[in-house]
Amino acid sequence: MASYSRRILPCFWKTTKLLTFEDSARRVPCRYHQELLPTRNYLLPETVEEHRKSELSKHPELPPSITSENVPADFRFVYPEFLPDPQYDRRDSIRERLEREDMYRRRAVIDIPEFYVGSIMAVTVSDQYSPNKENRFVGICIDRGGVGLRAFFILRNVVDGQGIEIMYEMYNPTLQSIQVLKLEKRVDDKLYYLRDAPQEYSTFPFDMDPIPVPKGSTVPVNKMKVQLNPRPWLERWERQDLQGVEDLKLEQRFYDKAAKVAKPWEKYDLMKWYRENTNEEERDSIMQEVHQRKRLTDIEKSKRKTKLAERKR
Amino acid sequence: MNFIKCLSTYATGTRSFSTTSCLHEIRKLARMRVVDNSALGKAARLSGKPARVIHVYNKTSVGTVGDKVLVAIKGQKKRAYIVGVKQNQKPNMPKFDTNNIVLIEDNGSPTGTRITVPVPSALRKKGEFSKILSLATRFV
Amino acid sequence: MAAPRIGNVLCRISNCNFTSVLLEKINYSRSSTCLLQIRHRQAFPPAAWYVKRKTTDLDENLTKENEEFLDDVMKDVYRKRLDRVFSPLEDGPWKRNEYNRYTRRTGVLAIKIGVVPQWTKEGKRFTTTMLQIIDNHVIRYTPPEKFMKSAGWKPWWGNKYGVAVVGALSTNPRIYTKEYNNLFMESGVPPKKKLTRFLITENAAVQPGTPLNAMHYRVGDVVDCSAKTKDYGFQGVVKRWGMKGMPKSHGVTKTHRRMGTTAGGKFKGGIWKGKKMPGLMGNRWRTARGLKIWRVNTKYNVLYVTGQNVPGNTHGFVRVMDTKLPLRKPAPDNPPPMPTWYPEDATEPIEEEYFDKDLFQFTEESVKFAEGKK
Repeated sequence: MASYSRRILPCFWKTTKLLTFEDSARRVPCRYHQELLPTRNYLLPETVEEHRKSELSKHPELPPSITSENVPADFRFVYPEFLPDPQYDRRDSIRERLEREDMYRRRAVIDIPEFYVGSIMAVTVSDQYSPNKENRFVGICIDRGGVGLRAFFILRNVVDGQGIEIMYEMYNPTLQSIQVLKLEKRVDDKLYYLRDAPQEYSTFPFDMDPIPVPKGSTVPVNKMKVQLNPRPWLERWERQDLQGVEDLKLEQRFYDKAAKVAKPWEKYDLMKWYRENTNEEERDSIMQEVHQRKRLTDIEKSKRKTKLAERKR
Repeated sequence: MNFIKCLSTYATGTRSFSTTSCLHEIRKLARMRVVDNSALGKAARLSGKPARVIHVYNKTSVGTVGDKVLVAIKGQKKRAYIVGVKQNQKPNMPKFDTNNIVLIEDNGSPTGTRITVPVPSALRKKGEFSKILSLATRFV
Repeated sequence: MAAPRIGNVLCRISNCNFTSVLLEKINYSRSSTCLLQIRHRQAFPPAAWYVKRKTTDLDENLTKENEEFLDDVMKDVYRKRLDRVFSPLEDGPWKRNEYNRYTRRTGVLAIKIGVVPQWTKEGKRFTTTMLQIIDNHVIRYTPPEKFMKSAGWKPWWGNKYGVAVVGALSTNPRIYTKEYNNLFMESGVPPKKKLTRFLITENAAVQPGTPLNAMHYRVGDVVDCSAKTKDYGFQGVVKRWGMKGMPKSHGVTKTHRRMGTTAGGKFKGGIWKGKKMPGLMGNRWRTARGLKIWRVNTKYNVLYVTGQNVPGNTHGFVRVMDTKLPLRKPAPDNPPPMPTWYPEDATEPIEEEYFDKDLFQFTEESVKFAEGKK
């Protein structure tokens, strides 16, 4: 092992003074130190993007972003699963593109309609253990989430006095059809409080007829206020800012405790909002792409329908 | 995971600790709702002392839909099959608002003659449920 | 998280004059004034074959036009080399040999780009990891006789294996040292951001400069993916080894996440070697074996591989190799392309995507179960 005693070595950083090292068997000069201890064992997303775009790389160019589509303002609420995972470390443009491609292909085969939390839907799933190999469930959508191919929604219904909830993955190939029987929104993002409400609020007949919604109209908002059962509850509803629930009629101590635990500053937290959402430009460019693909898919489907109609004749 | 933070740490001197969310797993002493029309089940419901699981016939002592359990009901031990759980399930599998069981005799035949609530369709997979599923009125 | 920044090195090099180091190039991050001791692995002096990569004396006095001119020259030079149809006249194409059950082909240096769910034709869901192969070229091939004399050889390899050095992500040579850039003269490709080596048998010798892409693997092949695991830094015994710690209350004093006893017993006094203790966790090479390739995207060179257990973070480098598991190797009547796939091998036009026969393709109709099926 070479000794570095009393040698004046050039430092990795630009300095006004030169550094000296003591004679130490285990010392490593800092010019090697930085290289031998990399800060992370993975690349940053922007580094990978640079390499993909560089002229030295044979990476195919991504198709140019679309700007010609006339996308309605609330389009991103109809297709929220196309928006990427806001967690920056996990993002990758190629993976997102390929995932979206799979989603477009699935949507070309099966019609996944527009729905919101509070809409009543009927889902038919292929079930190998049922006699007609199908299983149909009707329920109100109490939650919707997931990003990309992991998108899911939960339907709730009360059947024979028993409350039942089923979680469906939107891009699962066993899903045969999704039909929206009643398209409407509720005042809350999630309706988990229906578990603590009387069963009438969650009961929907299986043979319910679909209620058609005229094209181009705004989605109706159901501002009904649900009256909850008396306590005990599954969650502390008084601590959540629920709009669709009637006055809980609790003792003051509950509201005091809720106020103590509340985080009223969160609605002003810009960084939190920034971290949980994708930025506007990216969101718009993705929605442009989604809108274009939807338009093309609709044209294809209508062509197929007219062909079938002609054949029948 | 929820972090329970005591706001006034100076006053009380306690620190924060974390807890997992409620998993609704069926373990020993879990209270179950009997969903067949057996006399035992009805009596337990009316008395206000529901059936309690005292053993789960499983490698892990956590019961799910289709597992056999031993319950203590009205002072006696009875075997039962779980036909519905409150626990969050995988996609396409229904989750119920109550933990439901169907009482069975030692020879495997059900105690009641009818099951009043819907039963998961996935139970049809296993052959041992054929007697029980014949009592079911509805599949979900 | 566990990333020691430039400023943290201050804590270790005690002889550095603190003020002299606080200059422009330092990140004035919180960590540079952090008093917390951040432990990282010992930096041993580099091996004999180590070549310093990044240059320290970048010409700072170039005008912007001159810099752009240099970039254009560089791109011109490499564009010609990268676009050529691969059969270098100087050397002539190397012989392509047959695959046999002892053959080890080169691997590929991919980047883990994420994890995505897929479904089988039965409707069963499983997770796949997507690995993208960006700008892979073979940099150098060393035959076994020469490799045995080099510093990187281990005696138990005998004379079975040669070495193929593979590089990923082409970069501008200006940021690298002359020694590092000279490594790429033989192959004629731009210098790479990351190099790795693969031990290969002689019959799988690849010519330097050969591009490697996703067609090197076929759908249904089984691979081993090896990468550096996530770096957790210095971790305690509860996280690192899964020890239980002690109760949070009930009289327990000052001991909640500690190891407890270390050793004991009359048989051997003292702590045994390998005792699980706190220490640096992660950032180790680990191999996930027997991962099946379900899907290949030839346009973007992406492999979809079973499982979500490919080590490392997103955008980490992953060494992908043919599996060494004997029962998962390709059948003798279905050998993989040797030594790698070349464009002239294509008998039919190359499709953009290849799918495994059991994989559900989203262009198909929904999965339905036939009557009478159980």
